[in-house]
Amino acid sequence: MSALSDPHEERRRTTRPVWEEKPGMLLSLGKGATLTLVVLAVLFPMWSIVVTSLASRETINRVGGMVVVPREFDISAYVTMLSGGQVTRALGVSLFVTLVGTCLSLVLTVLTAYGLSRPSSLGHRPLLFFFLLTFLVYPGLVPSYLVVSGLGFKDSLWALIVPSAINVFNLVVVRSFFMSIPGELFDSARIDGASEWRVLTSIVLPLSKAVVAVVGLFYAVGYWNAYFNSVLFIDDNDKWPIQRVLQSYILAGQSPHVAGVAVNIPGITTYPPTLAIKMAVVVVTVLPALVIYPFVQRNFTKGVIVGAVKG
Amino acid sequence: MNSAPPRTTSRREFLAATALGSVATLSGSVFIAGCRKRARALGSISNAQQTAAVLPQYRPVRFLTPDIPGEGPLPDGYLKFPSTLVRAIAKKPGSSGRPIKTMTPAWGPTPPGLGRNSYLAAVNAELGVDVDPSVQDGMTFAQKLSAVLGARDVPELLSAPRWEIDKIPRFSQAVKALFEDLTEHLRAEHVEEYPMLATLPTTAWQYSVWGGRLAAVPYPTDGPFPWALFYRKDLTDRAGVEAPKTIDELYQFGKKMTRASQGVWAFGNIFQIVQMLFKCPGAHTGWRKKPSGGLEHKYEIPEYRQALEFAVRLHREGFVHPDIEASSGADAMTLFNAGKMLMTQDGVGAWRGTQSEQAKITPGFNIQPVPIFSAVGGDPLAWTEEGPIFYTFVKKGLGKERVRELLRVLDWCAAPFGTVENQLRQYGVEGKHFTRAPDNSPIPTELGRKELADQYGLLGGRVPALVGTADVPHFVEDLLAYSRATYKFREQNPFLGLKLEYPPNYSKILQTTEDKINDIVRGRRPLADLEQIVAEWRSTGGDEGRAFFEKALADNGR
Amino acid sequence: MNDPHVSSAATLKPGKRAIGARLRRDWPFLAMTAPAALLLLVFHYLPTLGNVIAFQDYNPFEGRNAFEAFMKSEWIGIENFQVLFADGAFWDAVINTLSITAFQLVFFFPLPILLAILLHGLVSARLRALIQGIVYLPHFFSWVLVVTFFVQMLGGAGLLAQEFHRHGLTPWNIMSNPHTFIMLVTAEAVWKDVGWASIIFLAALSTIDPTLYEAAAADGAGRWRRLWHVTLPGLRPVIVLLLILRIGDALNVGFEQYLLQRDAVGRQAAEVLDTFVYYDAIVPQQWGVGAAAGLFKAIVGLLLIVSANKAAHRLGEQGVYSKT
Repeated sequence: MSALSDPHEERRRTTRPVWEEKPGMLLSLGKGATLTLVVLAVLFPMWSIVVTSLASRETINRVGGMVVVPREFDISAYVTMLSGGQVTRALGVSLFVTLVGTCLSLVLTVLTAYGLSRPSSLGHRPLLFFFLLTFLVYPGLVPSYLVVSGLGFKDSLWALIVPSAINVFNLVVVRSFFMSIPGELFDSARIDGASEWRVLTSIVLPLSKAVVAVVGLFYAVGYWNAYFNSVLFIDDNDKWPIQRVLQSYILAGQSPHVAGVAVNIPGITTYPPTLAIKMAVVVVTVLPALVIYPFVQRNFTKGVIVGAVKG
Repeated sequence: MNSAPPRTTSRREFLAATALGSVATLSGSVFIAGCRKRARALGSISNAQQTAAVLPQYRPVRFLTPDIPGEGPLPDGYLKFPSTLVRAIAKKPGSSGRPIKTMTPAWGPTPPGLGRNSYLAAVNAELGVDVDPSVQDGMTFAQKLSAVLGARDVPELLSAPRWEIDKIPRFSQAVKALFEDLTEHLRAEHVEEYPMLATLPTTAWQYSVWGGRLAAVPYPTDGPFPWALFYRKDLTDRAGVEAPKTIDELYQFGKKMTRASQGVWAFGNIFQIVQMLFKCPGAHTGWRKKPSGGLEHKYEIPEYRQALEFAVRLHREGFVHPDIEASSGADAMTLFNAGKMLMTQDGVGAWRGTQSEQAKITPGFNIQPVPIFSAVGGDPLAWTEEGPIFYTFVKKGLGKERVRELLRVLDWCAAPFGTVENQLRQYGVEGKHFTRAPDNSPIPTELGRKELADQYGLLGGRVPALVGTADVPHFVEDLLAYSRATYKFREQNPFLGLKLEYPPNYSKILQTTEDKINDIVRGRRPLADLEQIVAEWRSTGGDEGRAFFEKALADNGR
Repeated sequence: MNDPHVSSAATLKPGKRAIGARLRRDWPFLAMTAPAALLLLVFHYLPTLGNVIAFQDYNPFEGRNAFEAFMKSEWIGIENFQVLFADGAFWDAVINTLSITAFQLVFFFPLPILLAILLHGLVSARLRALIQGIVYLPHFFSWVLVVTFFVQMLGGAGLLAQEFHRHGLTPWNIMSNPHTFIMLVTAEAVWKDVGWASIIFLAALSTIDPTLYEAAAADGAGRWRRLWHVTLPGLRPVIVLLLILRIGDALNVGFEQYLLQRDAVGRQAAEVLDTFVYYDAIVPQQWGVGAAAGLFKAIVGLLLIVSANKAAHRLGEQGVYSKT
């Protein structure tokens, strides 16, 4: 009766578990309607973003905004955007920062969360508060800049990784999960003389795939989307991450209206960005998120604990 | 997640540690109760005589004869690009071989940096020294500037927009701490070493003086009017409607041209223009001299009330496009270009680019400015803004030789229209970064658009010049005609040439009061509330402002 | 070795003699925590000392270098706080912010949970991944884009308004209505983040032991009772944790979203603490007042977290830290 769930079988299963009854008609309709509504609410704007990015300027002008009905397949916005070597370069920068950053952050977070998961350990309470306090007070611009520049990090890609390597919210989530793992699992390992490192790697981590995947996603998104830290720390135009480069496309041609006074910005005639380019920017920003999610979801398998305890 | 209760931490310890945490922040600070001598920022007023003593001598140079000579701050007009160029600078400015780090703002796609940019390579070859620019996006420039100035980590050459610099309190102290004093390098006849810098107009230099010392190289403005009211002439012609010449006609325009059911509205946000049409003062947020002596602010005069009433009517009757009302991130130009909005207020600089671009998309597209008129009789009033657009600062402590080298580079960057240097700087290398149209005007190539971002142009300033291109026929004549007509009615600005740093209490209530006015304009508060709002403005900083501005005039004998 | 004397308050401090032994036992835990602690010390706490300007008339150009500017700027005690607290608009902003938080705790917070449960109930894991992957995309849109969408759908020139016009009716004012503003911003926040927020609940749901469901079903529990007795209790720790953290964050509701729509509905409706600080401290470059507001947020946040945690204890939950 008790199914020793095989994670692989989980993913492939498209049939109901034995104990679950078939939902009634009303419930199915309700669920279906809600989900459809939710998906459409997102899909419709996504659709208009993609269509607008592929629309010609005439069409956009005629409609006066976002295009819903596609008329043509005009990739000139993407070509303009990607042809500058800056975009491909910035993608490289962001990929490096995201990959290295996420790995570093995950390792640090998992270690720290485990290190804080035994309330009876020495210095546990002060250390925990040390971390929790960071939720409350934040540093200002100039001091952050001074610290990073004082340590020689300025204009280095590490300035985009190291200062933001630990996110205490993610830490709290992982810690909370670690602390909810049944004590029996640890006791047996410790009695056998396993060191804490072994306990972490051979017991805790295999059980934590879901939470590590989620937190990994949170970190990756954080690194990928980060914008302002590069404003502060990176002057070299060749080291800009993708968000900054894409933002600069959106700003092209806009004259700042400051304190109610419009200013004429001189310079060569940069074409004001068409809506198509702005939308192409959005697509490029959002695409990685769409691609990466299935890999994260893969780790949300049911009953992994079951296997460990019974086995 | 559903196992034995995890053992967590006690609240007592948490609180104890937190108290420690707060103490950590407070450690080193001294609590002082009661009165203490305050050296707070109180605003600052420049001294016109002091300023005049440090200005460079004005030595205009004409390399070309303009087709329409400029007048005051209005630029010279040239109907087409010249076929021959003059070489203005014989000797290369560079001498040390050490690269120059600069920081300039830009409103456009990021260009590649030094080493990957053939435009930079070409110009640096001309300069004889490597300029290594860091281009910052204009929208976040304010924060970047705060960080850079606060951390005192400025590059050798820093170009910053005037409106950002104006917001920084105690900036004269910043200048003293961070930037080189250029007075002895450029004052009076010393400027002859830098003949191109000497061509920059004196008004621009006046604004570049802080605390009686010359501290920046200015980028003179070529458009002294902050706002213009643009309309879609092609669409109005089609509807048989003319540009309004009176305030009633403006109202009728709104009524006739708004067809909400078809998604067309007459106006965007045009409140600033409306104030101008009602002849409200615009100097330094709206001050003017009272005939009986002293100063009065636009909030306090009957014309402002009338302007407000008019704006209220426009909103109430639904003539303003709802997208503009709903979000400050709304894209007014997209709506205007699409014909969903027929009139918009924008900087004069918007004219050319919009016409050039949109003419290719919408045949017959015609954007024109509405000539200003007066809603209350007499001559119309035009607000002006004569301060430079950017300042370039030189880092302090580089040594005399280096400063002279930097100034020579800036001098090169200031070469005016008609010179070889100017063309290289503005457009790059012919054939690579631009090609020639039949009328000889340069057309940027893909590479040109990618690599150029005013990296040099913003540094040196230049004498403004307006040049005609084939994509917008008659533009030079049209713009200069409009500018002249408008300039004739320019406001008599009593503070002309003075550098003023507002007292903090006054700056703070600017936004607050505008928010309240906005409530009236949108109909959330009745017009009758204006009196109360003005009273609040006066008591929370308005009167303090008045004292400040009156002192500014008195100190300078005006 | 240490004095074996053990203090009488047994739960307060461990006996001194235990320290050596505990160190031997616990050093791996300390070692694991050390790198992150160092990181935070250097990159978070060190620059946070700069908040001392809350008690100063901070002049960034004082002194010979940037550090001296912090030391030498004039100390003015709590004057920045007084300026802040004396301003009626500050309290308006605080109240606005708290109202929005309260409203969203009811109308936003539960929604990702419901969505996660709904998705979790889907049999096909592939469909689940597909839907979830789509639904969490708006998280990556900027607020400018989100507000633009709402304007395009619900604004006076939007699709809904056009429908109204087509039937000869005057459209509703949704985007510029101060009275319904709180509902509008919540709808915007829900649209943007419900998918993203549900991820963590989906992960939590996946860790619930399926044998519990089996057992419940065997005992005759239908789907609703299983939901109540297995699913929700399984989610309870995560929900409580997130709830406490959200409450502790009550004075943070956002910035850009409100900045964009401030003119549309007016200061009364749209001013939140962060936009207030922006216009009153950041723009006029009154850094000390900004830092004071930050410390105010910290203290209030602390009180809220403590209260929320205490409440969690009353309900039998552990929260962020436990009672003992």
